[in-house]
Amino acid sequence: MPITILPPSAPIAAAHLHHDDSDEDMSDDDGLPVQSTTSIVTPGETVTSDPQWMRGHGTYVPADTTTIISTVAGHLHKTNKLLSVQPLRARYTPEIGDLVVGRIVSVQTKKWTVDIAAPMLASLPLSAINLPGGILRRRTAVDELNIRTFFSEGDLLVAEVQSLHGDNTASLHTRSLKYGKLRNGLFTSLTGAGGGILSRRGGVVRSKRQTFTLQTGAGEIDVVLGVNGYIFVSAHKKAGQDEKDVSITSLEQGVSETLYSSQNDDIEPGVAREITRVSTLVKGLVGCGRRVDEDMIVRVYEGAVELEAEEKVMGSSERAGGAKGVVEAVLGRLEMGG
Amino acid sequence: MAPPQPQQVNLSPAELSFLRSTLCQAPPVRFDHTKGPKDFRSMRAEYDVLPGANGSARVALEDGTEALVGVKAEVETSQWRPSPDARGSALAPDAEMRDAADDEDAKGKGQNSWIEMSVEIPGFRDDDSLPVFLASMLTESLLASGGLKDRLYINTRFHWKLYIDILLLSPPLSYPLALLSMTTHLALLTSRLPALKSEKDEDPLFDDDWDAAVFLYPKSKASASDDKPPVIVLAMGVGPNIIFDPCMEELAVADSVLAIACANATASSTRARIVSVRTIDPPSHLTPPGVPNSMNSATGGTVPASSAEALTQRELLANSGVWTPPRGGMKRGLISQVVKMVVEEGGVAEEVISALQAIELG
Repeated sequence: MPITILPPSAPIAAAHLHHDDSDEDMSDDDGLPVQSTTSIVTPGETVTSDPQWMRGHGTYVPADTTTIISTVAGHLHKTNKLLSVQPLRARYTPEIGDLVVGRIVSVQTKKWTVDIAAPMLASLPLSAINLPGGILRRRTAVDELNIRTFFSEGDLLVAEVQSLHGDNTASLHTRSLKYGKLRNGLFTSLTGAGGGILSRRGGVVRSKRQTFTLQTGAGEIDVVLGVNGYIFVSAHKKAGQDEKDVSITSLEQGVSETLYSSQNDDIEPGVAREITRVSTLVKGLVGCGRRVDEDMIVRVYEGAVELEAEEKVMGSSERAGGAKGVVEAVLGRLEMGG
Repeated sequence: MAPPQPQQVNLSPAELSFLRSTLCQAPPVRFDHTKGPKDFRSMRAEYDVLPGANGSARVALEDGTEALVGVKAEVETSQWRPSPDARGSALAPDAEMRDAADDEDAKGKGQNSWIEMSVEIPGFRDDDSLPVFLASMLTESLLASGGLKDRLYINTRFHWKLYIDILLLSPPLSYPLALLSMTTHLALLTSRLPALKSEKDEDPLFDDDWDAAVFLYPKSKASASDDKPPVIVLAMGVGPNIIFDPCMEELAVADSVLAIACANATASSTRARIVSVRTIDPPSHLTPPGVPNSMNSATGGTVPASSAEALTQRELLANSGVWTPPRGGMKRGLISQVVKMVVEEGGVAEEVISALQAIELG
């Protein structure tokens, strides 16, 4: 069946909007009109005019009044006497030390501007990257002229947030071998759910390890989970394969010569297939409103491979619902199996 | 208002190269791993969503692209006088009486100008090329598919004027032609016109009972052979493979894109017939080429001295991991292969039309 057309879904699936907040039932419900977790407040809507409540995130109190007004569209949360509105969708708020995946938007004389799904574009100064030719190499005027050979528009990179400016723009750096240009793989974006307080409702969670290697039947796959909700799945970087191409310029150890390459290595078809599978499953996870982290991806990936193998044996190739359907099936089995 | 941004692909050369290599595999691995080459993205559809329109439909794709179509019919005098009255009532008797050619048959009387279509896409002006092209492609297939404009004929003095308003509710992530066409199909399929009570060349008088209204596309018992509005499917060629309903990322690496308007065949051996075919310039032609390692000073290569030298080196590097934007058009063999996949028994056209029909039946 190549095409599936479904009737419209019931008013937004309540399943993934529901979460158990232990604080929620503690307070007394006096003076608040809306209390259910399935209803949302919209920007400009008066939440309450009772002076006993304090305003939290996502709310606003106009001068000379006690009326609390919502500034975002989202769910109302109460923590004792504190009222906050958790937005349904929000952009990523950069924090120092976050590992992010970004895409170059424009190239300027001494810096790049990078889209990291934040409200403002981040900047990556030329002085904050590792130049090819070793750590001790000095930055010269030639590098400024050749700025496009390192990163040009559209290129993907993984970087760390180095500092934040007063207007909440972030400054990035790639001064580590973990960071740099991304290639040999597939990019997925989960914008609107990434990072911070939103992590409870799907998206990438800040965790100890944002990059990990996944073992698949065809080979190893690297997954980079940017805190900003940008995800890159690529073929595993093999160490020590750089000998084949000895160049005239003596490159220092430390920085590999393919650091700024925009050319893909030869990827086996099997590995490419698994990369696509992982990337699709990640999208399915977000569709189901689940958080995306290493543990979850590994479990769902293994479940999906098992499911496909079983389907092949059974001969039923009926796949409904695309990525989301597969993830739902896998999650259902995982919960059943314990 | 900000100037309209051209539909540009913002993917890095390495990503494009990867996408292309997966799509060129046999069988192709699509961007959504669970889909085969002939699979459409799953969508949600409903009809009769606008109470004031003669017919309406809304279709939402899983990636959030959503289209809304309303069909509104008005009675117009055939002398091209603006009729102040809306439908459903006798019109002002100022229309000139002409000697009525007693001809019950409306065949061949329809005019192309009786169907007016407008496409609105957020971020684009009315006269931008994308909405204009989309509207003309949709109108073209609708007029070419036959009987519709003849059914708008009432009598020698009056006719229905059909306004089809197409609204894309989200920014166009992928080329929205197929989505808009399917929504239009569903809206037209469920459109109804008030039943005519007057006879021949009298001033038209309509039944005010909406339950008695007749379908714009009449339905009979054997629903498979009914006349149905056309539907446009997008097919793209990449390497040796043909992929239907490409998403944005897949379009970015397409060799060629074909828009095929097909309608169900009323009397022929095949189950569907092709109404029109157009090629679409894929966005892949505008992508920046990747710089191979051997030409990149940052990876230990040497930058070629002249552009001629650079061209020669690029030609030698074709089919490696370096992204080169596709050139040229579509091979004849590929077109015939696509056409065959669309019209054959159980082909794409039949599947799409029957899936849209199933929505209406409930």
